[in-house]
Parts: sequence; C-alpha cells; structure tokens
Amino acid sequence: MSTALNQPRQFTAAASLRGIAKSYKHFQLKDIDLEIEPGTVNGLIGPNGAGKSTIMRIMMGLVAPDQGTVSVLGQPISSREASAKQEIGFFSDDMRLYKSESIAFHMQFVRSLFPSWDEDYAHQLLDRFGLIAQQKIKGLSHGQRVKSLLLLILARRPKLLILDEPTNGLDPVAKQEVLSELMQIVNDETRTILYSSHNTQDVEQISDTIAFIDRGRVIASNNRDEFLDGWRRFKLQAPQNWQAPVIDGLRSESTFGNLRVMTLDRYQAEVEDRLQSSGATLEASEAMTLEEIFVAAVARGREDKQ
Amino acid sequence: MNANAIQILFLKDLFLSRWPLFGYMVGGLLSVMVACLPGEFAGFIGFILMVTVTIAAGIHLIGVLLLAESVDMTRTFVMSLPVSLLDYSIAKISVVLVAFLIPWLGMLASLTVLIFVAPEAKPGFVAFLVMVFLFMLVGFCLQLVTAVVTESVGWTIVVVVLGNVLLNLFLKTLHENPVIAELNKSEVLSWPPIVLQIMAIEVIVILVALGLAFLFQIRQRDLV
Repeated sequence: MSTALNQPRQFTAAASLRGIAKSYKHFQLKDIDLEIEPGTVNGLIGPNGAGKSTIMRIMMGLVAPDQGTVSVLGQPISSREASAKQEIGFFSDDMRLYKSESIAFHMQFVRSLFPSWDEDYAHQLLDRFGLIAQQKIKGLSHGQRVKSLLLLILARRPKLLILDEPTNGLDPVAKQEVLSELMQIVNDETRTILYSSHNTQDVEQISDTIAFIDRGRVIASNNRDEFLDGWRRFKLQAPQNWQAPVIDGLRSESTFGNLRVMTLDRYQAEVEDRLQSSGATLEASEAMTLEEIFVAAVARGREDKQ
Repeated sequence: MNANAIQILFLKDLFLSRWPLFGYMVGGLLSVMVACLPGEFAGFIGFILMVTVTIAAGIHLIGVLLLAESVDMTRTFVMSLPVSLLDYSIAKISVVLVAFLIPWLGMLASLTVLIFVAPEAKPGFVAFLVMVFLFMLVGFCLQLVTAVVTESVGWTIVVVVLGNVLLNLFLKTLHENPVIAELNKSEVLSWPPIVLQIMAIEVIVILVALGLAFLFQIRQRDLV
C-alpha cells in the first residue's frame, strides 16, 4: 500500500519519504510514502508499535531505512548529514536530558549549536511553562521534563517540528499548555509540524491532515475535515429479507435483529436517499469521532491484510 | 565534518565528567603522596593505589561518557541536534580518551618526577613504570572498543576483569625478566630492546583499538 499524507502537488515539500522500508526482527515498516506540505500541521495516529516513532526517527537520520529515500526541508537526510537538522526540532517521548545538569546548562548547550536561538522567547517559555532555569533535570516531574525539552526545541525557531508523542503521560493541564504553545506556532504559516500520538483527540485538535498507521503501513490519510465529513455511521431498521444497496466506501456492516449498522468512509448525501428507497427506515445518520474513524480504519485494514 | 560542533560536544562531555575527573585526580595525588612516604612498602602501596585509581577512572569515564548516553537515552537528544555521526564519533572518542589521559598522564608524570627526585629511588624503574602505564592504557582502549561495539555494561565489565587478570600476569612476566629486573635496580634510565619491543606492541594495540572504536562508531546505522 502506498499512501501520501498529502498527495504530491506543486510545492517544495517540508519532508518527503519515498518507498521507505525498514525491517526489524519482529516488525516491518513497508512502502511508506509521505509528502508533507509546508506550513501545515500533520498528525500521525497509530496504536503503540505501529511504526510512528520509526518513521520519525528515519526522518531525523537516527535510523537508516533499508530502502527508500528521505529528504527534509529540501535536503537528503541521514546520520551523515547534519545541516538539515539546523531547521528541525525533534521531540521523542523516550528522549532524555542530562539528569545531573540544570535546564540552564541545556539552554546554553543548545544555544551554542543554533544561531537561530531566541533567548527572549526561551525566557518567555520558561515563564509560560512554570520552569526555573536553575532546576536540575533529575528533580523535574515528567511534565516539566517534557516542557523543558519543548523549550529547547521551540526556542531555536525550527521550520519543521517533528513531535513524537509529546503529550504522552501529561496531566490535562500540562497537556493543554503544550498544545496551546503548538497552536501558537501553527499560526506562523511558514512552520510545519508533524505530530504523532495514539490519542486521537490531541491530533484532531491541531492537525490539518491526518494519516493512520497500523502494523508498519499507512492505512489511510486525508485532510482532517474530509476525514470527519467523509465517514458516517447509519442505523437502519430493515425488514428480514432486506438487500442492502451497493454503496461505495462501505467499511463495515453489522446486524442486531432488525437493526443494521453501516459504516461508510466516502459519505455523500445521496446515500441516505438510496438507503431509504431500498425499503429500510433510516433511524440515524451520525458523524463519527476521529477515534471511531481510526478504530474502523484499523479494523478494516487488518481484515484486508488477512 | 563540523569542527565547531565537535568542539562543543567535546567541551560538553568534559564538563559532564568534571566531578569524576576531579575525584580521580585527587585519588591520583593521594597515591603519589603515599608513594612519597619513606620506605619500600609505602612505595609499593602507592603504586598499587595508582594502578587502582587508573583502572577505576577508565571504567567510570567509559560508563559516564559513553555507556550512560545510550542507557539514559540522552543520545537521542544529542543526535537530534545539528551533529553528524562523524562529528559525534570524533568528539566522543576524543573526550573519553582525553578524560582518561588527564589522570593517567598526571600520575605517570608525577611518579617519574618522584623517581628522579627521591634519593633512594632508581631511575631505571621509569621504563618499568611506562610499560605498566601503557598496559593500563591498552586495557582502557580495549574497554572503549568493547563499549562502542556492544553498548553493554556487562561485556565492558568482562573486558575490565580480563584486563586486570592480564595486568597481574604482565607484572609477573616483567618481574621475572632478567633484563627488566636488572633495569629496575639501575641508577641509569635506559631503554633496552625488550622494553622497546613491549612498548611498541602496546602502542600498536592502542592504535588498533582506537581505530576499531572509531570505525565501529561511524558505521552504526541506527543510533537509537
């Protein structure tokens, strides 16, 4: 399966992955094609172990793909290339700072590598996140460690942010603070964000486009609104011998006595008329949440694979 | 290759190892002071302390600067910065080596000076001392290459233990060699062929081990 987060268009992609494959002993990433448009927020949703982190690490040159090419901000990327990383801010859930050193030490270290470091913004972030520069990393809570890392990333004003599960394990207040900061960045149309999570609500809140990943493959990708508008669940009362009309994009169908529940991923208003005219009584036509869409897409993807 | 990035990484790691380094320099100084006390036994204890401090410094610095980076997952952070694998490798191997060489050289130099200054010490013993310190540097470089290749604390400890066993065998072999035994009692420092051959082998092993450590480091495909 070959899917693009955004279908190739006439723009220089913020990031482009073509034919990426990577094999581990118990996991394979296959046929990953992603094209990320500049100035957009892109969500990667997938269950744990789906391959989101591997994709992001490949984009950072931390993991070498077995096949395929990667370019980020117009430059090829690998562990041997460092220049593209000047413009990228990468956050990973399992990334750690030096625990015996302070936030100030890390700020100074990162500042020395980035001419673009914005000291005023860094201090604004310290205030906004409620951090104290002299605090040692080992004394910080998980939320404070995440915020410290984000501070170190955001204060260098990267053009591309690659954020792997940044809200994982955060309490609701800390999560909202982090998301609010990301929302402010989103207002700057020159900056691009790739954001992964298994929490669909976070991704839905800030993303323009969304890709679902499961078992090392991109199983669906689309504009967020088209995802939300395109998926629909129908509840019908249908007679015993009712024959469902052929409908494009029918993803699942289940029967509970006379009640039929149908899930569609290419919803058009005329579908409702067709169902009504087929002899069934339409009881409900419901929009689905991103989480429901994700679960349905994963289930369908796994069925197709079998 | 980015010289600025290498320098920043080098200084960062040197700063991170400042307290262990300080501790080993103090330990080294104390052992030299013990060696300065009158009597052959004090000299022997001072020498044993120095060997112990040097071996401990090697293990600790490899742990703090190299293994901890993958165990504590700080390498992901460092490699997310504008640093290539080549920059990282040069900085990392250089700083681990330099950090070890600071107490190593400090102790070797002060002991050499002491031998030349102390009236009862025999200058010929310096050749023995240099061979032993080079042997400890060989052990350190083998630990370094093991840590780079395996990223395993367990395997590195295995090499440390083997190194200690071999060091004892090496000391015994040196003592039993008539040329070296004679040299240890000599009032004049000289470098007979057997000493130069041993030193040459040690230097070759050091260079090969460092080359392998660097080669394995830059050939890594997956950094996390």
